[in-house]
Amino acid sequence: MGDHLFEVDGVHVSRLEDLRLITGAGTYAADWNLPGQLHAHFVRSDRAHAKIVSIDTTAALKYPGVAGIYTGEDAVRAGYVRGVTFLNFKGKNDMEGRIPERPAMAHGRVRFVGEPVALVVADSALAAQDASELIRIDYRDLPVVIDPEAAVRPGTAQLHESVPENTPFEYEAGDKAATEAAFAKAAHVTKLKMESTRVVPNPLEPRACLIAHDPKNESYTVHVCIQGMNMMKRQLSAYTKVPEDKLNVIARDVGGGFGQRSTAYPEYCAVMIAAKATGRPVKWVSSRTEGFLSDTHGRGNIIEGELALDKDGRFLAMRLNWLADMGAYLSPAGPVSHIRNPTTCLTGVYKIPALYGYWRLAVTNTAPIAAYRGAGRPDIAYAIERLVSNAAAELGIDAAELRSRNFIQPEDFPYKTPTGTTYDNADLPGVLAKALELADWKGYTQRLSATEKTGKLRGIGISTVIENTGAGMYPKDEVELEVGKDGVVTLYTVAKSQGQGHETTFAMMAAKVLEIPAERIKVVQNFNDRALIGNHTGGSRSMVGAGTVCHIAAEKLVQHGKSLAAEALGIEPSQVSYGAGEFRGPESGMKITLAELAQKREVKIKGEGTFGTTYPNGCHIAEVEIDPETGVTDIARYMTVDDCGVVVNHAIVEGQMHGAVAQGAGQVFGEHAIYDKESGQLMTATFSDYFMPRAGMLPDIVMAEHATASRINPLGIKGMGESGCTASLGALVNAVIDAVRPLGIHHLDMPLTPAKLWTEISAKRGTARA
Amino acid sequence: MYSFNYVKPGSLKEVNDFLASNPEARPLAGGMTLIPTLKARLAQPSHLVDISALEELKGIEVRNGALVIGAGTTHAEVARSTHVRDAIPALAELAFHIGDPAVRNCGTIGGSVANNDPAADYPAGVLALGATVVTNRREIAADDFFQGMFTTALEPGELVVRISFPKPRRAAYEKFAHPASGYAMTGVFVAQTNGGIRVAVTGAGPGVFRWSEAEAALAKAFNVAAVASLTMPAADLNEDIHGSREYRANLVRVLTKRAVARLAGR
Repeated sequence: MGDHLFEVDGVHVSRLEDLRLITGAGTYAADWNLPGQLHAHFVRSDRAHAKIVSIDTTAALKYPGVAGIYTGEDAVRAGYVRGVTFLNFKGKNDMEGRIPERPAMAHGRVRFVGEPVALVVADSALAAQDASELIRIDYRDLPVVIDPEAAVRPGTAQLHESVPENTPFEYEAGDKAATEAAFAKAAHVTKLKMESTRVVPNPLEPRACLIAHDPKNESYTVHVCIQGMNMMKRQLSAYTKVPEDKLNVIARDVGGGFGQRSTAYPEYCAVMIAAKATGRPVKWVSSRTEGFLSDTHGRGNIIEGELALDKDGRFLAMRLNWLADMGAYLSPAGPVSHIRNPTTCLTGVYKIPALYGYWRLAVTNTAPIAAYRGAGRPDIAYAIERLVSNAAAELGIDAAELRSRNFIQPEDFPYKTPTGTTYDNADLPGVLAKALELADWKGYTQRLSATEKTGKLRGIGISTVIENTGAGMYPKDEVELEVGKDGVVTLYTVAKSQGQGHETTFAMMAAKVLEIPAERIKVVQNFNDRALIGNHTGGSRSMVGAGTVCHIAAEKLVQHGKSLAAEALGIEPSQVSYGAGEFRGPESGMKITLAELAQKREVKIKGEGTFGTTYPNGCHIAEVEIDPETGVTDIARYMTVDDCGVVVNHAIVEGQMHGAVAQGAGQVFGEHAIYDKESGQLMTATFSDYFMPRAGMLPDIVMAEHATASRINPLGIKGMGESGCTASLGALVNAVIDAVRPLGIHHLDMPLTPAKLWTEISAKRGTARA
Repeated sequence: MYSFNYVKPGSLKEVNDFLASNPEARPLAGGMTLIPTLKARLAQPSHLVDISALEELKGIEVRNGALVIGAGTTHAEVARSTHVRDAIPALAELAFHIGDPAVRNCGTIGGSVANNDPAADYPAGVLALGATVVTNRREIAADDFFQGMFTTALEPGELVVRISFPKPRRAAYEKFAHPASGYAMTGVFVAQTNGGIRVAVTGAGPGVFRWSEAEAALAKAFNVAAVASLTMPAADLNEDIHGSREYRANLVRVLTKRAVARLAGR
């Protein structure tokens, strides 16, 4: 199967949606308006943990233009008290998840700064905000719990009555006894305690919704930012008990998701209450600071890891003790993604005979944590890759050599891991060899000496990773194709691009089969008039799932079209051939185009597929230079070799990789959601205080592909939207630690800010002088 | 943002009169600080008095050997002005590194100096160059103008009209941009003026200040070694989640050294 299967004459198909998006013609959630709409403003908790003694809305209700004010009491009365949390598996000792209630607005108690307490709707956004300042809330403060390690300690103040020791769930995977036995006979054990820091995903588009209630049939129209309509309907329905078919979810363009846009947030449910009560559409647009406070956060894992090796540097066992901060409430995807994804890839790319992991979830007085680009995959890969590089350094073995010695070999695939996963296909030695060559691994010592002459520190870091992509929560992915009378094929999917470029890639998939230009395929990702089963876009799944079904559906359309054409042409279907939008009979001139066929009768079909999980893998190598005078790190070189199977659109794959590596670099060098430990205030609630990665941080990334076709996906495709995050955390941190290891530093937690590096480096150098 | 009234007077005199009779009114030039403050509902002026188009506040010229910049001149205009680049290239460079293009196209020198944000760039240049701040009422020497965090010698209703920079013999500005905001986490402006060596530090402390020890050391020997052996006392510097006071003290020394290196190398 050729690399360039989906590229016409070797030319990249440029993104069909870009003209609309870059000329400001996109329609985002806040761009929708309805006649007679009201505007919403939320009053949010200004404290981290407190009992709500009273809420006085009298003065605010009299403010000109105010149409209604709603609080937690309204949420409880409506029964909007519990969102869905996908925690449908048992934990350690058959433990059931303790999922606390979360009324759409706080009821009786607030548990994090920014939690919605009241909703004001008024004729204008200004009036709603003005009136909200007249609401008087009397709180009684409770002890604030920010640090997840402190949260689960006995005796710490409890957030929820139903969650003893602030521990909603404990889970274990692997074989504890075998792991302990392997550690007992190990020649070397390397240990690290690592934090994958809490970060704020910060999509460019702020959260927003516009919701109208139709009393005639008790239905709602919900304009909102989504990652897929089915997931939003399912979650909103679970929260509000409004049946899914009474929820018309509408979204056109979505400006970034990263997992943060898959959640049906309580604010949406609160706006539903207001829309029903007032009988008018209600619009809410989040400010950026509200986003920092109340959009779900990402990562937030503290991982203690140990790797046992024999005298030859072969891995014997690994064990992890994982504490996952979930924030004040359990988000839909937070628990499952921070447990299941690490479990799935617990062995990384290595043959490790014995594995054991223990997970504990903690609730704290902070914003809830959910999936964030990679959702547990970057965290597990980071932990493993830090351990492996640390072991290599401690044993004096080349970091690439130690990896190579322990790789799962090409002939081992499909490979069943100790935690029950089956990796589909990879050529890890091939990936590594290509990466080492691309990075000129052997020539590093020369570059190191050149750097040392300038007084700077240089380090090289490597990570070799694998991750689970595809699958999903729905039993299959469906795609519908319908031919218009003009021959344009409309492609319906419930996957939703938030930047991934489905309008291009899905069109390419169908266009390739139909032999018509991709521009003749119109991709529709949101509709309420036809029920399609399928997953949202997340977990790097859409090209593996819905995208592949585009291909299958197009093949089915050709077959279906042949029988319709045969009827129209008065011949047998077996006599019909298809090419470039035309059905032809055996005699010349005997033909009918897709458009002509559609003019005669309806031409539409539904394709479907279920493909399971694919395992992209790769090797990233980073080199950094650190200025010891300022602590500033410059990423001097960055190389990637990735195996995401068959590539549909190279430009989009490269773009995904660039973005994900940048997000990884952001987390490594600066992003950090910091709560004040005493007050529980978010100290980084604006872009003045919250670091975001900038384009100038990265050098030109040198990229190569090393594809092995997926054995799960019929087209050989593997997912890849998140793998750049998964590989970059380890590569970059390993590079920085390599640079400072000669000073006696063997680990530092992210973010590796200039101030932190300067402090650590100068402390070690000061000690050395004394 | 609370509601406010908007007025756009046609002359500086009208502005003065309006501000005198409306004590809760605030002048609006580039709005790069005021607008975010309003959006966060941290201020509630009765009126915004738009002074952004006043000709009397515009223009860059060299007058009697001094570079005179109208208060309403944007950072972008300063950065690309040939007058500034010829007379004080370090000042053009400073302006070029403020914010991003959108900020530079709106923000003004007068607004920056009058606001005296402790992490703003211009105060370092104005102070190190020994500039004179000319207001609608008087002339104020830079050494008297800046009085600590967001505090200046300006009185209510007093507006910065222009700033006059005596041409230094040479000058350089080194900035360490805050990783998140892009403001100066520390910025050091070193100028060899006719009145001697002046070193002004922004970002590191509660307000712009002169580092007198460095000035004295550089007066004796204008070279990197003179600065390298100095220690900036950390006690009075800023400390926050982005860096300790010791880190900022280190940056003051390192940036001073780098500014001197650039000048000594010229």
